[in-house]
Amino acid sequence: MKFLISVTAACLSLVVASPSFAQDAQPDFTDKALIARGAAVATAGDCAACHRAVEPSGPQYVGGYEIASPLGAIVAPNITPSKSAGIGDWSFADFDRAMRKGKRRDGANLYPAMPYTDYQGVSTADMQALYAYFMHGVKPVDTKAPETHLPFPFGIRMLMTPWNWMFRSDKPFKATETLSTQAQRGQYLVETLGHCGSCHTPRNVLMAEKSGEALGGGDIGGWHAPNITSDPISGIGGWRQDELVAYLRDGRAPGKGVAAGGMAEAVEHSLQHLPDADLEAIAAYLKASDPIRNPDEKRPAFAWTQARPIKLAAYEPGNGTDEASYADSSTTDGAFLYAGACASCHGRDGKGTKDHFYPPLVGSVTTGAVNPANLIMTILGGVDRKSGVGHAFMPAFADQMSDAQVAAVANHVLQRFGRSQTSVTATMVATARAGGPEPLLLKLMPWLMGLAALALAVVAYVSIRKSSGRKSRVG
Amino acid sequence: MAWLCPFFNIFEKGITMAETFDADVIVVGSGALGSNAAYELAKAGKSVILMEAGLRIPRWKIVQNSRNSSRRSDYNRPYPDVEWARTTESDEYLENTGSFDLRPGMLKLVGGTTWHWAAATWRYLPSDMKLKSTYGVGRDWPISYDDLEPWYQRAEEALGVVGSDEQDQSGQGGGAYPPRSKPYPLPPEGKTYMFQRLEARLSPLGFNFIHEPNARVTKPYDGRPACAGNNNCMPVCPIGAMYSGGFHADHAEAVGAKLLTDATAYKLEKGAGGKIVAVHYRTSKGEDVRLTARYFIVAAHGLETPKLLLMSDVANSSDQVGRNLMDHTGIGMHFLADEEVWGGRGAVQQGGVFNRRDGEHRRDYAAIKHAIANPVPNPAVAARLIDQGLLGPELDRRIRDEASRWVEFSTVFEMLPHPTNRVQPHPTRRDALGIPTLTVHYDVDDYVKAARPHAEADFHTFVKGMNGQLIDISEGWQNRDHLMGSVIMGADPKDSVVDGDCRTHDHDNLFLATTGVIPASGVINPTLTGVALSIRIADAIAKEV
Repeated sequence: MKFLISVTAACLSLVVASPSFAQDAQPDFTDKALIARGAAVATAGDCAACHRAVEPSGPQYVGGYEIASPLGAIVAPNITPSKSAGIGDWSFADFDRAMRKGKRRDGANLYPAMPYTDYQGVSTADMQALYAYFMHGVKPVDTKAPETHLPFPFGIRMLMTPWNWMFRSDKPFKATETLSTQAQRGQYLVETLGHCGSCHTPRNVLMAEKSGEALGGGDIGGWHAPNITSDPISGIGGWRQDELVAYLRDGRAPGKGVAAGGMAEAVEHSLQHLPDADLEAIAAYLKASDPIRNPDEKRPAFAWTQARPIKLAAYEPGNGTDEASYADSSTTDGAFLYAGACASCHGRDGKGTKDHFYPPLVGSVTTGAVNPANLIMTILGGVDRKSGVGHAFMPAFADQMSDAQVAAVANHVLQRFGRSQTSVTATMVATARAGGPEPLLLKLMPWLMGLAALALAVVAYVSIRKSSGRKSRVG
Repeated sequence: MAWLCPFFNIFEKGITMAETFDADVIVVGSGALGSNAAYELAKAGKSVILMEAGLRIPRWKIVQNSRNSSRRSDYNRPYPDVEWARTTESDEYLENTGSFDLRPGMLKLVGGTTWHWAAATWRYLPSDMKLKSTYGVGRDWPISYDDLEPWYQRAEEALGVVGSDEQDQSGQGGGAYPPRSKPYPLPPEGKTYMFQRLEARLSPLGFNFIHEPNARVTKPYDGRPACAGNNNCMPVCPIGAMYSGGFHADHAEAVGAKLLTDATAYKLEKGAGGKIVAVHYRTSKGEDVRLTARYFIVAAHGLETPKLLLMSDVANSSDQVGRNLMDHTGIGMHFLADEEVWGGRGAVQQGGVFNRRDGEHRRDYAAIKHAIANPVPNPAVAARLIDQGLLGPELDRRIRDEASRWVEFSTVFEMLPHPTNRVQPHPTRRDALGIPTLTVHYDVDDYVKAARPHAEADFHTFVKGMNGQLIDISEGWQNRDHLMGSVIMGADPKDSVVDGDCRTHDHDNLFLATTGVIPASGVINPTLTGVALSIRIADAIAKEV
């Protein structure tokens, strides 16, 4: 292990020594207009999603909130301009390095829960505005957030150094030239500040975004962030521009679906506050993005629009009239569970209400998807999303139903209202309850630990070569 | 430090020989009051066992029971009435020996009777709590409204109470009253059309219409969705917008309390120094279990709490346990307005006419609350017309017409405490567990009877004001399910069971979390006061454990 650390440390010192960014002429960071623009950049970057207090009513950007990662809880630090607890002492260079390179002021690595691999492409002007906002527009709060302690070996932040060499691009953002100006703006928002790929791009075995499958759909915390490429079947190609804009702004698009989980948070804290022009730009870019098709999918997830009929009698039995039956809540009859738990709001016909206050279960990406993860997670955890069209709320059923009951009611919904070939098992529900499937990295860890020395040595070797190559270019 | 885990009990005994307990605090009863006390104590880091005689039943199951059976009209019926955890629906549950058939609709399951209530969450008035010194009748509370106010606020925040910050809830037409330290947690729901019409036409006659604060949330709150106004509060809110104690039983578990179901307490065991040392419970399989704790809270409602104390010969040096039983024994009235008012839309109740809630008349006769009941009127209208022999299209036409104009008032009176109105363990009857059932002796007093003509005079004015047709004024008296007085609170240990902190005078580690402690009934639904007192109990115990 000592060998490993010294190798890694040696590599680290090389990186720190290399001039990895240029110092531009700096603006007046106290300029009011710059601070205001920075506030808008912070919203687009959704900094508040993670750097929030534990209590929802807590001060802005005070941190302490635990980001659930498959490797353990990562605590978001205080990023208010407090000198004792936050980033009040940071220079612009410190700030810029943290944002782009994933380095704390003291040189330690950040975990990529901080999406620096996306933020590294943020424009200098936006970065300066953001710095101005955090230094002069945010109220300092002197409450230190607790340190993150991931289990061994992930607690060793130095391990992120070779990871960064492998997965962090240092190229500035460059829009695809063939796109319209509007779509280019969208591409900038999607790929940098919006860090959409953090969730929507699948990750490889080392938990880095697979660059060849950008926006092709990713799994996060039990949810599935769907494919949002332009593919008409597997992606959002079948959504109209205005439907995409409505979804981003309101968290719902009638006939397409509603946002829950992390997407509900993105709408609530970030997307609904963006200017319409930016939402239009994002939608335009997504519709122009490189399509990715899942060959298992034959029709779009929203295109299951007809409820299959059911005999009313299916809802009626299952209830003996003796006292013991009244007390017995062990049924796994999906129709029976649907009638008691779901039909009060979504209706026996699954149509919800006309105004979509209670959304329909037909014509919904949640019930029409190949992957039932979001249906399971919605039943378990409910929906909680505030936007301009109101506060959408569905209670959680995790405490009211067993895994087998959640599976039964999910299958009833799929068979009657959604993609009937999709099915849910109790095991899948148990996995979702535990926060989603364990990443391969964690499963392989016992093996990886044994091979760690070798692997790291190889990585270090390759990286040193890469690093010296870069040096020679600079020189 | 006490430990829940028996392993640690043995461990600790072996190492230190210190006195050990199964929990810091045992709470008997998982209704709104017991669950809130358990939650507060567990949140404060205490080890807590929350005991429940009945089962835990998920909401969807109760919705099913209510839909898929013929047991809809009776609000108790969708709830299991198993032989070892009877609801009051069962004839075997309690026997009446007095002139009034007291039969409150109490339930036995996790969450308690707040599964079916209309979630009215009033505060008492300062004068309600000083009835004797203000009007010379009944009893004073040993604490004042100001003493209780901070816990009223916390109870309202726990339950998600919606209310108007502007009205004089004493019904006297003044400014905002009683005084509040903070606004209501949530804004009030919109007024139903019926409430609007009655208010528009009757308030010019001098009647003060007051919105009823309630725990049907108007915005998503604490894991509950907003009320959709579908008039389904009873027998069960199908979406959980209306508060029930089960929410805090869940919260208590989430912060570490241990919930035991199928655990009927039948004995509190006394030890040295006036302490309670253990509670004994029996399961449906006949197992008897003894659990020890530093503190005990009995939160088993206004009938079961005194029964457990009397069976255990506990806390009764005053001979007041089980006595002074009070309900807001009431009357009702129906009429047809001259216009369509469309009852049955929106909340099942929203308040009513409060002019007689307070005033000098309380020296002579009971305070009166006229609540406007707003159930879907079709069943009552149809039953009456069918009784008259109507059939076919004429019946349909009349149901449509009269259901649109139907108005129901549900009126309650303030009862005074009388030692002769009492609940006791039944001398001979036993339930399926071999535990005595209940016997109740209850007579409506002259203070209430003297108020009745005034209430009926108001009824006739209401009907006249709506140019209406009186259908009926109920004969006799009706249950209102508000059990008070049976373990009465007072400053003097000689004539009361608990002190102002709900601590029994006789046992300093035994507290009672029940509306049964309330010594002056007023006219308002007492649950919020019970929850406020329960949170106050938790605070008192947390300082001592």
